[in-house]
Amino acid sequence: MKILIVEDEPKTGDYLQQGLSEAGFTVELAVNGTDGLHLASEGDHDLLILDVMLPGMNGWQLLRSLREKGRQVPVIFLTARDQVEDRVKGLELGADDYLVKPFSFAELLARVRTILRRGRTGIESATLLVADLEMDLLRRRVMRAGNRVDLTAKEFGLLELLMRRCGEVLPRSLIASQVWDMNFDSDSNVIEVAMRRLRAKVDDGHEAKLIQTVRGMGYVLEAPKETK
Amino acid sequence: MIRRVSLTTRLTICYALIAASLLLGMAWMIAGMVSQHFWELDKETLQDKLSLVEGIVMRSQTSGDIAPRLSDALQNHPGLFVRVGKLNADEVAFQSADFRFPPQMLETKKSLTGDSLFTWQTPDQEFRALTREVRWSDAGQTTWLIAAAVDTQHHDHFVVSLKRSLLTYAILASILSALLSWWAARTGLKPLRAMKSRAQAVNANKLDERMPAESVPIEMADLATSLNDMLQRLQNDFRRLSEFSSDLAHELRTPISNLLTQTQVVLAQHRTVEEYQDTLASNAEEFQRLARMVSDMLLLAKAEHGLLLPSTEEIELQREVVALLDFYEALADEKSVKLHCSGEGRILGDRLMLRRAISNLLSNALKYTPASGTVEISIESTPDHVCLRVTNTGAAISAEHLPRLFDRFYRADKARTHAESDGAGLGLAITRAIVEAHGGKASVMSFDDKTMFELEFKPLG
Repeated sequence: MKILIVEDEPKTGDYLQQGLSEAGFTVELAVNGTDGLHLASEGDHDLLILDVMLPGMNGWQLLRSLREKGRQVPVIFLTARDQVEDRVKGLELGADDYLVKPFSFAELLARVRTILRRGRTGIESATLLVADLEMDLLRRRVMRAGNRVDLTAKEFGLLELLMRRCGEVLPRSLIASQVWDMNFDSDSNVIEVAMRRLRAKVDDGHEAKLIQTVRGMGYVLEAPKETK
Repeated sequence: MIRRVSLTTRLTICYALIAASLLLGMAWMIAGMVSQHFWELDKETLQDKLSLVEGIVMRSQTSGDIAPRLSDALQNHPGLFVRVGKLNADEVAFQSADFRFPPQMLETKKSLTGDSLFTWQTPDQEFRALTREVRWSDAGQTTWLIAAAVDTQHHDHFVVSLKRSLLTYAILASILSALLSWWAARTGLKPLRAMKSRAQAVNANKLDERMPAESVPIEMADLATSLNDMLQRLQNDFRRLSEFSSDLAHELRTPISNLLTQTQVVLAQHRTVEEYQDTLASNAEEFQRLARMVSDMLLLAKAEHGLLLPSTEEIELQREVVALLDFYEALADEKSVKLHCSGEGRILGDRLMLRRAISNLLSNALKYTPASGTVEISIESTPDHVCLRVTNTGAAISAEHLPRLFDRFYRADKARTHAESDGAGLGLAITRAIVEAHGGKASVMSFDDKTMFELEFKPLG
């Protein structure tokens, strides 16, 4: 998966490039709008991450020129300004998502993966499997090492999200948004508590802990690494 | 560009023009009346003289008698000039010495008898004259014309000097009244200058200066009161703004100082990878808090510019509350706090914003509810309003804190340490901003063992 970042702030650009590279993407970085447009027109990127305020040509102009050339690559806008009209403008131009600075990297990564996963038409499997944890989506049943795990509806939804995006660190805001449809940062520790309770049900009494807290980032569900 | 004229100058010019025109008008009238009076006086005198001369002429036997008789009679009348002659003929019976009547006066067929005075001037004198025709019954039954003239120069002198005096007086009085009206305008506008000097004293550090609303005239009292109200609002806003900036700086200083210290301590010597990871993770958490604070502040700033409601739709409050209770269920369960919702209501609003407002109340209520307590949400719909109340059990909040609970960064317990999940003290401020953006109001009441937050909205339709 190839991503083009157009960001003029050097630190942000470098860290985004590093972070996304380490997450397994091939990343190119342009530091102004003109170079960005050139690279985006020539290249075969799967996703563009555009800063709105750019020297040379701003993000919107870049996207407009790109769309006029017929390139339909998905775009995430980054901006320091959070104005409704900005958001509307970005979406009207055909942006796929919009992140307001300061945003957390985990959040960006989660959204990048969401967009890249979109359109990939895999056969929807009826069961999800991670290590010895098995989720039956049709019967809404969860088994851990052959034993039934009783979950509430929201816990089921939470576990489903973690399993579907197995191996990805999911930030709290994304979890709140996807599971509870709460599209804002709550100042309470609701997610921590919910995760703690889910973990107690899923992992307690098992040697291998599947649900991990990544401090400062969020939560991840993954099979324990064999090498350790 | 039009030059701006001061109010004092305008009033002075206005008063002075009025005074000058009135004075000049009066002077003109007086001069006119005096001239008229002299004209009538001259006419009467001339008619008297004509009658006298006529009597003498009629009593004369011959034209030769006329001259000596008239000369005698006229000796007592200096300044009177008489001519007696045959009408339309050259024969003159009497002619005052060294005096000539203008020929056109004597030749006129239609003689100037009656009211019309004949006036003419020589270089150094002015005369008024009157004529009368007499049918003298001498042998020829001829008509004689008597003309009499008086020198009116002394009248004219008087009138001219009177006019001059009046004009001088009018001008001097106008100037004086201009000076007086300038003084009066200045005195009358004194309160304005007092207000100006008060206004000049107002600056950012001294916003408590007020206009003297009681001591200014009634016309200006309204203005002064309005200005005072404006100053009061400005002062309040300014105080809030400066408190806000200092609060903000203070709120940012602590976490930044923590981050800086922690990072520098860790960098001071070599550490294990785990220690570095731990520091970075802790930093990340702190940064997230800072980021959230900045986002919240931006939201509040937007609220002040009225930009909070990107979209409005019909909202079923009960549905939103149920969704939120679902969200907070785990947290409440953990603390053994019961959540309960009753009632229903519909309002117009922005779903995300309303959820956020109610979420902050719930989060706040859960934070302060002791174990085994309850948080009760009730929605009440009346034709006048839709009220959403969040009531939690727990110790009462003391009255002094209640009015300020919705202020940004306000914490009833100043010394409270930051818990991991603690917000920046902006939650309730955001709730109030959102509710006010919806045209509602937020309030709080605290009783012995419960606290109730109330959001009041306008009903649908």
